[in-house]
Amino acid sequence: MKFRAVGEAFVILALACLPAIGEGFYFRDKASWQSPIPESELVTVDQARAWGSGAIWVDARPDNEFAADHVPGAFSLNEDRWNELLRQFLPNWSPDKKVVVYCSAQSCNAARDVAKRLRDEAQLKDVFVLKGGWEEWGKKNR
Amino acid sequence: MKIFWRILAVVVGGIFVYAGAVKVLDPVQFGLDIDNYKILPWFVSVRLAFYLPWLEILCGLALILGFLYRGGLSILTALVFVFIGATTAAKARGLDITCGCFGHASQHWSFGQHMAIDLGIFFALVALLWIELVRGVHNDQKN
Repeated sequence: MKFRAVGEAFVILALACLPAIGEGFYFRDKASWQSPIPESELVTVDQARAWGSGAIWVDARPDNEFAADHVPGAFSLNEDRWNELLRQFLPNWSPDKKVVVYCSAQSCNAARDVAKRLRDEAQLKDVFVLKGGWEEWGKKNR
Repeated sequence: MKIFWRILAVVVGGIFVYAGAVKVLDPVQFGLDIDNYKILPWFVSVRLAFYLPWLEILCGLALILGFLYRGGLSILTALVFVFIGATTAAKARGLDITCGCFGHASQHWSFGQHMAIDLGIFFALVALLWIELVRGVHNDQKN
């Protein structure tokens, strides 16, 4: 029974590769293979700072972290109080401005999720995620 | 009693076919869901996001059709076991995860709801595996 189960399992494991490869080929341009955030949606601290007043900063971290410290002029917009904070943020946005979203560090997901919601739900264009997040900002501003 | 186990296999198989089909439609989102567990590097997560849904569908079909049945049953049992472990580890590390197991339907489930469903499926799979093992031993003795 054991050997038969193992043999059958290998057959299924191999068979599943075929449609997976096909789908991967179909999505080859839509999926980001090296990073969860496509390179085109990332911005470095230096690039974002160079945008000057053309950039609008969004802090996706929880309220307490924003209250402790944040990028000067940044707006707090986290998913815990999304509707309320989005209402406060939108009047400050204009189509000529680039939105730079950040969370704690490179490994956090909040900035990616907030940026996605700004694009999908608020229909904003030019929304970027800060590479390295607040941690990287701190390093460059010490 | 035999009909009970057959119905259970079809129901569990159907759950996995549905779960796999939902994820096949949006593999990029499923990749992000796997990445949220912070266990695997992204390049592995994104590739698994394309592979695992098809594996679930094939294993589910194996349970429904009874073809490659033991292989499908073994893989699903191992998959659910690993998933329960990963979910528990993520919870212990304080990660706020969305498993994405059943697409949008499962997005707002609590940790308790996830675990109750996962454990229910896991025990059903173990029971099916156990019955198959007993039948195998019985058949060997007959021969």
